[in-house]
Amino acid sequence: MGRYLVRRLLYTIPVLFGVSLIVFILFHGVAGDPVIIMLGKHASEMQVRELRHELGFDQSLGLQFLNYLKQVATFDFGRSFATRENIGSMIWNGMGPSFLLASLGFFSTLILSLIISIACAFYRGRWFDRGVGFICVVGMSVSALAYILFGQYVLAFQWGWFPISGYENGFPANLKYLAMPVLIWVLVSLGWDVRFFRAALLDEAYKDYVRTARSKGLSEVTIFYKHILKNAMIPIVTYVVIQVPFLLLGSFLLESFFSIPGIGYITVDAIRSSDFPVIKATTTLISIMMVFGNLLTDIIYTLVDPRVRLR
Amino acid sequence: MVKLVLFLGCLLGVACSSPPSANPPNTVNVAMPARVKTLDPAYSDDRYSNLSVGKIYETLFQYHYLKRPYVLEGLLADGMPLISKDRKTLTFKIKKGVTFHDDPCFVATQGKGRELLASDFAYAWKRLADPKVRSSGWWIFDGKIVGLNDWRKKAGESKFTDYSLDVPGLKALDDHTLQITLTASSEQFLFSLAMPFTSPVPKEAVDLYGEDFARNPVGTGPYIYRRKESNLNSKIILDRNPNYRKEYYPKEGAPGDRENGLLEDAGKPLPRNDRVVIHIIEEDQPNWLNFMSGKLDVAGIPKDNFSSAVDEVGNLRPELSKAGVKLIREPASDLTFMGINLEDPILGKNKTLRQAISRAIDEEETIRFLYNGRAVPALGPIPPGVSGYDPSFKNPNRTFNLIEAKKLMAKAGYPEGKGLPELVYYQEQSTTGRQYSEVLIRQLGAIGVKLKIVPSTWPDLIKAIHAHRTQLFGMGWGADYPDGENFLQLFYSRNIGEFGTNYFSYKNGEFDSLYEQALRLPDGAARNKLYQKMARMVAEDVPAIFSSHRITYGVVHPWVKNVKNGSFGNANQKYYRIDPAIRAKLQ
Repeated sequence: MGRYLVRRLLYTIPVLFGVSLIVFILFHGVAGDPVIIMLGKHASEMQVRELRHELGFDQSLGLQFLNYLKQVATFDFGRSFATRENIGSMIWNGMGPSFLLASLGFFSTLILSLIISIACAFYRGRWFDRGVGFICVVGMSVSALAYILFGQYVLAFQWGWFPISGYENGFPANLKYLAMPVLIWVLVSLGWDVRFFRAALLDEAYKDYVRTARSKGLSEVTIFYKHILKNAMIPIVTYVVIQVPFLLLGSFLLESFFSIPGIGYITVDAIRSSDFPVIKATTTLISIMMVFGNLLTDIIYTLVDPRVRLR
Repeated sequence: MVKLVLFLGCLLGVACSSPPSANPPNTVNVAMPARVKTLDPAYSDDRYSNLSVGKIYETLFQYHYLKRPYVLEGLLADGMPLISKDRKTLTFKIKKGVTFHDDPCFVATQGKGRELLASDFAYAWKRLADPKVRSSGWWIFDGKIVGLNDWRKKAGESKFTDYSLDVPGLKALDDHTLQITLTASSEQFLFSLAMPFTSPVPKEAVDLYGEDFARNPVGTGPYIYRRKESNLNSKIILDRNPNYRKEYYPKEGAPGDRENGLLEDAGKPLPRNDRVVIHIIEEDQPNWLNFMSGKLDVAGIPKDNFSSAVDEVGNLRPELSKAGVKLIREPASDLTFMGINLEDPILGKNKTLRQAISRAIDEEETIRFLYNGRAVPALGPIPPGVSGYDPSFKNPNRTFNLIEAKKLMAKAGYPEGKGLPELVYYQEQSTTGRQYSEVLIRQLGAIGVKLKIVPSTWPDLIKAIHAHRTQLFGMGWGADYPDGENFLQLFYSRNIGEFGTNYFSYKNGEFDSLYEQALRLPDGAARNKLYQKMARMVAEDVPAIFSSHRITYGVVHPWVKNVKNGSFGNANQKYYRIDPAIRAKLQ
C-alpha cells in the first residue's frame, strides 16, 4: 500500500504540469490583458511598458512558464493583480464560507439521497419508487437559477422564512444565511443522486448471487443490507468522493446570488478581470484536490471491497 | 484522519470567526453591485473602491452636496487656493485640527491619530508618482507638477524610494500650507484634487502595514473602517469617526431643495448617522428584494424591475408611493457612443458614410428598449450638468431620418449598401451589449449596412482599438470631473497613442487649437463658447456616433432623509439621516 501511495502521489507532478500548461496557454491565448485592467483607462504607454516588465510579461513565454511552474511548486502565487491582496489569504478567507456551504449541502444531499434511494430500491416498482422517480425527474428539469429566484422571492421575501441574501462571520449567525442556499443545493442535487444511487443498488439487486441468497431463504432485509448495499457502495463511493475536491470551490451561482464571499465567486471574478495569479492558484488547488480525491477513492475502495488490493 | 478533522475544523473556524455587533438604530444600509477592490487611495480607480475610500479618506476639495451645476468647495482645504498671476502656483491652506483615525501605527502618540499636516499631501502625491507603488492614479499629476516627473525617474532608478527628496513644485511651506507649482496653468487641475487618488495618507500606516495597507485604511474621513467585521467581497462596515472635526450640513442648495426637505438639517454636524453598512450584492433580484423588504435604505432600480417600480410617464408606481418610497433621478454625467476608427480606409476618409450611419440609428428606440427610457439621446459629447453643455444644440447628424440616411449612403458611393463590405463592430461582452448589437444590426440593416459583431472583454476591446483592428466599437466615458474638457479631450490629437484616450485617431488642427485655448481660460461664458464650437466640429465630422447620456434612478425609503443623487461625491452617506421611529414602524 505504501508504495502505491508514493507512486500515486508522484503522479501529481505530471498532472500539475499538464494543468499548468493548459492554464498558461489559455491565459496567454484567450484572456484579456491584465496590465490594462490594473492601470485603468488613463494608463500611459510608459506605465504599461513598466508594469509589463515588472510582471515579467515582456519575457519569453518559456521563461514565463518556468516562473509559473516555480510558483506551483512552492504554492506562492504572490498578490492578486486586481486587489493586490495576498492570494494565500484570499483563498483562505474564501475557502471557509465556500466549504461550509458546500459541505452542508453535500452531506445533507448525500444522507437524504442514500435514505431515499435505499427505500426506492427496497420498494422497487411500487408506488413509492415510481412517485420518487417522477419527483426526481421534475426536480432535475428545473434549473438552479429557477430555484434561487423562487427561493429568494417566495421563501425569503414574501414568507420571510430566510434572509434574502448576505453572510455573517461567526457561528451560528452564518447558519441563518446558509440555510436557503443549502436547501437549494439539496433540491438541485437530490434528483441526480437519488437516481444514480438507486440504479447502482438495483444493478446489484438483479445479480445471480442475490437470487441464490434469496433461494437459500435469507430475508429481503438481510439480503439488502448485508449484500446489495455493500456491493453497491463501490460505484456510489466513486461518484461521491470525486465531488469532494470541488467542495472547496463552493457554488459560484449560489455565492453570487446570496452574496456569500466564497472562493467560487473569487475565482469567477478573477477570470472576468484576467487576474492570472488568482486563476493559477485556484486551478492548482483544484488539481491537487482532484489527485487527492482520486487517491482517497482508491483507499476507500479497499475498505468497501476486500478483494481490491492496492499495489 | 485526525489531521483531516483538524483541517476541517480550522476551515469551519475560519467560516465562523468573530460575531457581528448589532447595528445602531440610525445605521444607513446601502448596496454596491461589485466588490470593492481596495481601500488604498493610490489604487482606487474604479467607482466602487472610490465610494468606499471617499468615506474613510478626504481630499482637499469636495463638490457641494446640493448645488447644481457642481461647485467645488474646501474639504481639507481651508477655502480656495491663492493662485499666482501666471496661474501656475497654487497655495493651499490646510484646515487646522484635522486628525487621522486612531491606529496602532501612531506609535509617537500611543495610537491616537495625529494631526494632518501639509507634508502628508506631499507624501501621498509622491506615493502616486512612485513607480514601485504602480498607482493607477499617477495620470493626475503626470507632467503637471514641476519636478515630480524627475523625482519619479530617480525613484525608478533606485532600489529604495527616498521620499525625503524634494520636489520643487510640491512644497509644504509650513504645517498647514501646501504650495504646488504647475508646469502649465490648468483650470481643470483643481478638480483633480477632489478625486480620492489625491487623499493624504499617513506614512506611518503605509510603513507599518506595507502591502496590506489597502485593508488597513487610516484616513481623516467621517467614517472608520471596521476591519474585523468587514469583508470587501461581501460587507463593509463603517462607523462614525468619534474624533471627526466640526463639519456641517450645507445651508444652501439648488432650486427645489428646500421644498424637497433637503435643507432641514442645514447647519447640523456631520456625519448625520452612526454607521454605514455597504452590502455587496451583485445580482439585481436580491438587491431589489432587499430594498423592498426594508433591509436596504436606498437602492438603484434594476433594469428588470424598472417597470414594476416606475410607470410609463416616469412616476413611481402607486403601491410604492403609498408606502412613502421616494423616487430620485439625476443625470449620470456620462456619454455612451459608437466610436469610429478614422484610420480605417473605408470609414476614415468617408465623412458622408459616417453621417449616413449616424442618421440611421434611432437612439430613442434604443433607449426605450435597452434602458427602459433611463437615458436621453446624446447630441454632442458633453452631458447635461457639465460645464459647456449646450441644451439648445440640435445635431443634424443625430436626428434619426432613414430617408436622409439612404440619400447619404448613395452620396457616399454605397446606394442601399451595395459595394460596402461588412463592417466590424466590437462590443464589450455583456447582456446589454449583446442586446444593443442586435438592435444595431436591425437599424443599420435598413440602409444596407451589414455588421459583424465581435464581443470582447474590456482589455481586449482596448487592445483592439489601440491596434486599429476595429472599424466600429461600442464604448462609454464617465466624467472624471464636471468640466466639458474631460469629454473634449477624447478628440484632442495629442491623446492619440498606444494608450491614449483619442480612440478614434481624430485629427483636427482647428479643434486642437481651440482646445489648447480653452485650457487656459477659467470657467465662464468665454470658455463655454469654445467648448460649444468644438462640440459642433465633432458633431459635423462624426468621429463617434453619440448614443446617450444615462440617468440614474433610485428609490429611498421614507425613514431616510437628505438623499440627493449625484455623479460626483463619494461620501454622500454622511448627509443621510435615519428616523428610527419611522423605520421601526414601517420596516
